[in-house]
Amino acid sequence: MNRAPSRGGRATSESGVAAASSASTKVGGRSGHGKSIVLLVLLGTVIALLPFVVPLSPYVLNILMQATTYSIAVLGMTVVLGYTGQINLAQASFFGLGAYAVGLGTVVFGLNFWLTLLLGIGLATAAGFVLGLTTLRLGGHYLAMITISFQQIFDLVLVNWADVTRGPDGIAGIGRPSLFGYTLSDDRAYLLLCAAVLYLAIYLVWRLPQTRLGRAMRAVRENELAAEVTGIPTLKVKVIAFTLSATLAGTGGALFAAGFAYISPDNFNFARSIEFLTMVLLGGAQSPFGGAIGTSLLILLPEWLRFLKEVYLAAYGLSVILIMVFLPAGIWGLIRSRVAKYRKLPAIDEEAIPALDLDVPITDPSPILRLDNVNKHFGGVRAVDGISIDVFRGTVHALIGPNGSGKTTTLNVLNGIYKATSGRIVFNDRDITETAPHERAGLGIGRTFQNIRLFPSMSVIENVMVGAQRENNPLAAGHAALRERALSALKFVGMAANAELIVQNLPYGHQRLVEIARALAGHPTFLLLDEPAAGLNQTEKKALGELLKRLRGHGLTVFLIEHDIGLIEQVADTITVLNFGKKIAEGSPEAVLRHPDVVAAYLGEPAHAAA
Amino acid sequence: MPLLELRNIESFYGNVQALKGVSLHVEKGEIVTLLGANGAGKTTTLRSISGLVRPASGEILLDGKPITKITPEAIVRAGIAHVPEGRRIFPGLTVQENIMIGASGRGRLPRRQMQQEVEEMYDIFPDLKRLSGALGWSLSGGQQQMLAVARGLMSKPRLLLLDEPSLGLAPIIVQQLFATIRQIRERGMTVLLVEQNANMALSVADRGYVMVTGTLTVEGTPAQLLDNEEVRAAYLGGGKHAAAV
Repeated sequence: MNRAPSRGGRATSESGVAAASSASTKVGGRSGHGKSIVLLVLLGTVIALLPFVVPLSPYVLNILMQATTYSIAVLGMTVVLGYTGQINLAQASFFGLGAYAVGLGTVVFGLNFWLTLLLGIGLATAAGFVLGLTTLRLGGHYLAMITISFQQIFDLVLVNWADVTRGPDGIAGIGRPSLFGYTLSDDRAYLLLCAAVLYLAIYLVWRLPQTRLGRAMRAVRENELAAEVTGIPTLKVKVIAFTLSATLAGTGGALFAAGFAYISPDNFNFARSIEFLTMVLLGGAQSPFGGAIGTSLLILLPEWLRFLKEVYLAAYGLSVILIMVFLPAGIWGLIRSRVAKYRKLPAIDEEAIPALDLDVPITDPSPILRLDNVNKHFGGVRAVDGISIDVFRGTVHALIGPNGSGKTTTLNVLNGIYKATSGRIVFNDRDITETAPHERAGLGIGRTFQNIRLFPSMSVIENVMVGAQRENNPLAAGHAALRERALSALKFVGMAANAELIVQNLPYGHQRLVEIARALAGHPTFLLLDEPAAGLNQTEKKALGELLKRLRGHGLTVFLIEHDIGLIEQVADTITVLNFGKKIAEGSPEAVLRHPDVVAAYLGEPAHAAA
Repeated sequence: MPLLELRNIESFYGNVQALKGVSLHVEKGEIVTLLGANGAGKTTTLRSISGLVRPASGEILLDGKPITKITPEAIVRAGIAHVPEGRRIFPGLTVQENIMIGASGRGRLPRRQMQQEVEEMYDIFPDLKRLSGALGWSLSGGQQQMLAVARGLMSKPRLLLLDEPSLGLAPIIVQQLFATIRQIRERGMTVLLVEQNANMALSVADRGYVMVTGTLTVEGTPAQLLDNEEVRAAYLGGGKHAAAV
């Protein structure tokens, strides 16, 4: 996808030869990636040519054809469910759209197979797009319900609109296509075509997670709110995933129709959708190999268990349950965890990482952010009650107050997680009161969360790369630039050595630093920090204070919520104090921390006696 | 015999060794604190004690009886309560239900006793009383932290494991919380406390351990630890002035 330009981009990037060469070694797995491709192609060729060498019965060839075409549809489930975390219980209907386009197109209208193939893929894609666009706002069980309904409607249409679909009788006599003047009437030749398409699909789906889009999908799966706030247009990403999934299903269905020469509504009903779901979960939803393994297994299992005769269905169900219980990450999950033990993480050469460019020129003395009489009410609760705050460029502005006084709510209104009930928010002279969170990130507002919201099962560097991908980030195009930006941000907070670790295995305090790095990788002009010092010890807090001062030195504006008075005294230029959703004091630290109301409501004893 | 004893505990996350032979003891009625940088293994030590992490080797004894091989639920029933960092409360239950659920390991309590104990928690955290009917998710971060601590206290454990109880609390609440921890001790409960606010922790502790990359390096009374130049430099933010903040 964007792989080729990224390679070119790296060679010519302005970051110099040293950085470029180190980046290429650090990208890691790249040489390993080459090796796995060779291995894959070899394996694929052997499997594909096998039928020509070893005589296989038509029965076995049929099973193989079923496995390959189903696998293509199941790969769609890998994208939508495994990568993006969205449920889709209508995969069989997209599969059916592809199949019926080929069936009706070739048999009834006498169109060329290849034309109907494209038509089928287009039809499934369009249906996926429309269904996704209208329903993905909902998510969770609503999405499940709606996809089930779509599947049922599709089934009813196939059966009852007999004039067009030929109803329950189905369509028979679907011909095989010809390629380069050679008709693929031989099952082995047609299987070869299906296998080629499957390999292409596996390759694309396998590479997807390492692309911008794939990372965005995984971020949505891991923590949708954090993804949105980091600058990912989550709805768009989900719609793309859903559409891609339908495209793959349509492709599989179209090939299926010509493969078996006969299709009927039974092939595309709700039970088939569930089967696709089971296949992807059984094999492992995180990888296309899992999808292919799961599909093959579920198709072969009934054949293997046939000797059991009447108890065969029970045995089949039991085997599926057992695999799901003992291998929650699927069969591929098991294989991968075994292999991961022996994989060496690529070493990071910290010396070679360029310093993080954070500079924000301050040319304008006006406030960067103005909250003008902002209210946020939840039912009768006035969490934020008419707050007006001006935040000036290049300052550290602290927001303090008792627990439950509306600090985090203010931050959430500020970056769009909540819509203000009333009032106006102006950022850089632009009214952003109605702007979506990811667009605010695109304007240069970065943020961390009180209860850390990282993408837990992704690596540290991947987490930070998601931050670097925000729209309008002044960055060279391509993978290498993203990676370098992420490494620089990690180095800035002192976490570069942990880049390749899975982020959820880091201790709490380090996760906080990674979250800050994720925000910084987006080159923000305005940084919102929600209790950055929580979970850090005194020494680490001091280092954090230094880091915040460095940020201010670069021209960034920092707006932070914090309970550590020592840290606030160390870094804040201005403090605003909230209580019960209202502003009760504002000014310099010296003045505010001696304000009697603040002492009574918040500090208790004078700050210095706290120790 | 110490209430809790760890003998040469080693624990791993995947292939990363988090604990490299940790031995410590907590006497009945003591408050013991574990200090150390992020990543030193303090949380892993607590998780190993409560059974959430299975130690690869070593032994954990409660009252001289090994608990290394039993399940987390059984460890709770044996009298160890763990208040983890990061507020794991039940979002769909009310504040009061969240508090009461803490007592579920103690069998069926008479309604009046339950009511009285919940009231005691409200005395410690008056904010929670005001919110008693509110659902867990609607609480602010700091209020959730109070709730998590209250829930832990409700299990009336013989040994309470507290992981960063002051996280995200306003200074005035932190003072109340530590006053509570002192009270808890007077009621005969034993506490193993992990806390980044080392000054605060040492102000209530009887003894402390310093942990560095999976091993315990220094042990002593608060006075000894506060006097130790190295400890001060590493965990208390440097010189005497900083230590006062």
